[in-house]
Amino acid sequence: MKNHIKIIVIFLLVPLVWVGCSKDFPVDEDGLLITDRAQCYVSNFDLIGSDRLSVRTKTPLIDTVAQIINIEVQFGTDLKNLYPQFTLVTDAKLDPKITGKVDFSDLLNPKVYTVVSGNRKVKKPYTVFVTVQP
Amino acid sequence: MQRKYFINITFLLSLLLLTNACSKEDYAIPVLSTNLQNDVIKRSLGPNVVGQQIEFAYAMALGPEVGKIVSAQVEASIAGATGTFLENRSFYTNTGGADVGVIIGGASVTNGKTTNVTFTADTSAVTLRYYYVVPEEARGKSVSFTFSAKSSNGQTASYAMGPYAISKMDMVLGLDVTDNNACYISIADMAVYTEANAAANADKIDLVYLYRTTPANFTHALVSPAADAIYRPGITLPSGVNRSAKVSKVWNLRDWQLDPKHQYSVFVDDLDFQQLDLSGAPNYALNLKAEAGVWVETADSKYRAYIFINSINNGAKSARIGIKRYAL
Repeated sequence: MKNHIKIIVIFLLVPLVWVGCSKDFPVDEDGLLITDRAQCYVSNFDLIGSDRLSVRTKTPLIDTVAQIINIEVQFGTDLKNLYPQFTLVTDAKLDPKITGKVDFSDLLNPKVYTVVSGNRKVKKPYTVFVTVQP
Repeated sequence: MQRKYFINITFLLSLLLLTNACSKEDYAIPVLSTNLQNDVIKRSLGPNVVGQQIEFAYAMALGPEVGKIVSAQVEASIAGATGTFLENRSFYTNTGGADVGVIIGGASVTNGKTTNVTFTADTSAVTLRYYYVVPEEARGKSVSFTFSAKSSNGQTASYAMGPYAISKMDMVLGLDVTDNNACYISIADMAVYTEANAAANADKIDLVYLYRTTPANFTHALVSPAADAIYRPGITLPSGVNRSAKVSKVWNLRDWQLDPKHQYSVFVDDLDFQQLDLSGAPNYALNLKAEAGVWVETADSKYRAYIFINSINNGAKSARIGIKRYAL
């Protein structure tokens, strides 16, 4: 009888230990999943005004080789209070993070955002050039 | 021995429970009280603004065999402004969907805090609307109401409502602004001035309305007099008009009191103005559309306001606006 109990306990413990020792999915310092993807680019970009509407006049030019974004905004746009809106390739993230309004009024010193790939090994800085519609 | 007692007692209790659970309960229609009874609902929603109405529906009834209603009265804790009244008609909806009023007494008489209707019709059940126009005296305070009714058999009934907070803000509706004409907006006066009048009120002009087709996306705009001249092309400001209000564009904030035609809307209240932060906001707003709005803070920081664009007219280069204003 004792032998039977031992066998049952062992059978229950083995899968528990196996599951307990399996490798966890890795996450980064932001708690985001680190995957195998190495792609690293911006697929779309927009600037949103204080009224939460887009201020761009046309589709922005995104050069993934030169890593630049050219966007034209409407005449009279308040450049000091804009919310940038990036669309990135799957699993990628942005540095610095966008936490609120951003001041784009210094046109001579354009903002730079770095895209970090899903595997966190590839980093590509994108420069955002803003021009105001004449 | 003890175990035997325990089993027997449990059995007996179970039997008792079973008997009760299975007994049939006969339903009896509740007997309505024939005493004078009353009830009130508040019909109006949103902030209670000075000069605007608060609307209630006051229902009262008693058994027709014991008497009829002889009077109804509402007493407010602060006397209502001119226009406060208690309806002397009870409404029903006809087959066409229209509300039809049935006169039940003379027009209401307001004496100080009390508004009274004396019944002339022989009726034992009625619902009357009460419209309280918020007086200036109530601004920033709270107001309560006591509704009461009397019947011919000497009974009385009363119902207390409130207290209701009265907003500190002001509101004005239906201001028409026109490019190069009535285009000077004063938040302090809640008014629109022409160029000639603006010169006489130069220290109160906060915004200029203008409409331009070029540059593209300029269209309807509200611009501070002190804004860069490229944002007010073709405007020669009257002497002394030079203030710089902070302006921030808003979309999809359709205040129900400024724009009552929308079924789904929100209310801009005192709290919104108290928490508003316009630091860093520009002093102009271009490309305004119908049903858009702007938050405004005057140059002297005495007022914050929300200006709602009810409608625009590109051909006439004009717009209709409404303003809610909060004194800081």
